[in-house]
Amino acid sequence: MKLNIIQQRGLWWAISGAAILASLVAMAISWQQFGVPLKPGLDFAGGTRLQLTRACVVSNSCTDKVDLAEVRQVLGQQGLDSSSLQILGDDQQVLSIRTRDLSVDERTALQTALDETVGPFDANSTQIDTVGPVIGQQLLVSGLLALLVSFAGIVIYLSLRFKLDYAMFAILALAHDVIITAGVFAVLGLVLGVEVDSLFIVSLLTIVGFSVNDTVVIYDRVRENLKLNPGSHINDIVDSAVNQTLARSINTSLTTVLPLVAIVVFGGQTLKYFALALIVGFLAGAYSSIFIASSMLALWRERSGQAYDTSVPATDPSSPPETFS
Amino acid sequence: MAKYRAWLGVILALTIAAVVIITQIPTRLGLDLRGGSQLTLQVQPTKAIPTITEREMEAVQNVVEGRVNGLGVSEAVVQQVGSNQLLVQLPGVSDPQQAERVLGGTAQLEFRAQRVGTEQQLQIENQVLQGHLGELVALQASLPPETPVTAETQARIDKLQADITASEAAVAALFEPSTLGGDQLTDAIARPSSGTQWVVGIKFNNEGGNKFTEISKAIAGTGRSIGIFLDNRLLSAPTVNVEYAETGITGGGAEISGNFTAQSARDLEIQLRGGALPLPVEVVENRTVGPSLGRDSIQRSLYAGIAGLILVLIFMAVYYRLPGVLADISLVIYALLTWAAFNLLGVTLTLPGIAGFILSIGMAVDANVLIFERTREELQADKTLYRSVESGFFRAFSSILDGNVTTLISCLALFYFGAGLVKGFALTLGLGIIISMFTALTCTRTFMFLAISLPQFRKPSLFCPGLKTVRP
Repeated sequence: MKLNIIQQRGLWWAISGAAILASLVAMAISWQQFGVPLKPGLDFAGGTRLQLTRACVVSNSCTDKVDLAEVRQVLGQQGLDSSSLQILGDDQQVLSIRTRDLSVDERTALQTALDETVGPFDANSTQIDTVGPVIGQQLLVSGLLALLVSFAGIVIYLSLRFKLDYAMFAILALAHDVIITAGVFAVLGLVLGVEVDSLFIVSLLTIVGFSVNDTVVIYDRVRENLKLNPGSHINDIVDSAVNQTLARSINTSLTTVLPLVAIVVFGGQTLKYFALALIVGFLAGAYSSIFIASSMLALWRERSGQAYDTSVPATDPSSPPETFS
Repeated sequence: MAKYRAWLGVILALTIAAVVIITQIPTRLGLDLRGGSQLTLQVQPTKAIPTITEREMEAVQNVVEGRVNGLGVSEAVVQQVGSNQLLVQLPGVSDPQQAERVLGGTAQLEFRAQRVGTEQQLQIENQVLQGHLGELVALQASLPPETPVTAETQARIDKLQADITASEAAVAALFEPSTLGGDQLTDAIARPSSGTQWVVGIKFNNEGGNKFTEISKAIAGTGRSIGIFLDNRLLSAPTVNVEYAETGITGGGAEISGNFTAQSARDLEIQLRGGALPLPVEVVENRTVGPSLGRDSIQRSLYAGIAGLILVLIFMAVYYRLPGVLADISLVIYALLTWAAFNLLGVTLTLPGIAGFILSIGMAVDANVLIFERTREELQADKTLYRSVESGFFRAFSSILDGNVTTLISCLALFYFGAGLVKGFALTLGLGIIISMFTALTCTRTFMFLAISLPQFRKPSLFCPGLKTVRP
């Protein structure tokens, strides 16, 4: 298999462009509905989430599902009508309630009332998350800051190890991956009500790290090929670099995605969407590294009159030891 | 080859050490895995104290620690985060209502005169209280660290805690209701007096000074004491000498002396200062996971991790053949070394932390993939086997380094800016990346060169499908 990266770049770019456009549209619709591009979870929006599991050992009430109407009635009595409800678990015995930020007394009252009507619940399987507005803000700001700082760090490192134009296109490819991952979650938020939490920002940062890794491997090969074939056109250099590293790109993506698929299948509720975000991001990352970062670099070099590398090859640690053999 | 044999010895030794560490040092599990409550408390500034300084945080932390101790939770942790927040970790607590109620709110410091005729009773009650406290400390010290407390032990702790609370109430009942509160205390300071003796000086505002004069006048010379209570717990019960019976202690301040060491005097100073601060503390975040849910998460993550690892191992062996099998061995060593590193460095493993670990397995494979692809290319270019392997490692190094450094940059950013769970993820992924550089470059390399030194392993089909011959 040989890919024509440069020749068919119109096609590759069209695919990416369509994906980015769809992502932006999804985020715009989400903006209209929720006032933000992605549906914010508890971590950012603040509030209280109660996850209660019925104590099946004690009572024999576990044969039927948790009655949502009863739960709503209790919520209504507590003045929490606008709360959202979910039934979870393999046998539908877990109740998850998301309300506004409750004080201890409000929460206790709610828990007691629920325990009496639809309970009893198992205290050892209770999960409580309360995030005040201050913390929500703090988590969002620190997450975005981490994202920006790692972008900057990567640009600096790549400019030092390669050249500035490599770094710029690597970052462009990263932005591509981040936007598409965000877009997929905007769609999931609109369709399934999936929310993003601090783990989503973690997944974006991990995507950044892994995707730049993919791009670097290809750029590394471009740099090496430039040195070995100083007379070749940049288009040929890039084409062969991508194809030489193609098996690696595919295999690495595969071996990284396999454990993630295992998390999606076996992992608990918390990690499912986290792993899903990583899978989407890594696939977008592999695509952007192979098709976008490479072809953009070639186009840029061609347009800026650097189609043939005239610079004297610098001594490089990656020059092979057996050049003369 | 001698070089590689030496390396093989090192790798073997490291692996054995890792296994020993894993079996000897327990893995520290985060509250999301072992169950428990994590509360973030924010200290709210008031009109009187618009900015919260380090000194005030120290005092508030002390007050909160005192309250946490009152909850009877073993291995509870209170630490300061940021400039005005405290993180409280309460392992094993599945119902944090009580904790939240006790921990929030403003400290209550009171000076209360002892009731007439209770001298002996105070002594008895105090002895009972000290007995309970001693028992609780001994019980908690006897518990193995990092393991969930059994229901039986927890029942004993709860019982002792109830006894302590009852004793404290009994002690408090021996004192008059308060007329002098912590809001009128302006300062407390520990200082050395004569020799190794330490004293704690206290200062009141005008109104407080007058009240203190009155109380001390009534108490002086009676043998009864003035009880200093923080959140209704007796901190200290100094008596007043008979010489003050006429006038009371005047001057708006006093000195508490007794058998203070530098440490105990400083403790009392911080407790008094904390109690004097009218700073409200608010619970702004509560993350509670029931112990059963935690156990469930561990099990699921374990399945996911093992399933992921096995899939990757199979893929590597099938696709890369002999090198793949060798890489698989390195990968298992990698997992052992990383696990041992977590235990050795005391990394607290959280759910995202486990995800980071699983993810780093994929990353560890990447280095091997880069090397083997390179080796194949060289073989297909008709290089000798030895040259090809050598060149595979050499040429892949720069890609491996660049890729890992950029991922490490992301990890650093996450670790520096992230909070709680996010930090755990960054730490395990970062640590994993560093260790994977070692296993991919050293372990796999050693195994490969040792393998190709044996003639029976020099078959082309073991390295690259479709290759007819291979030059040794």
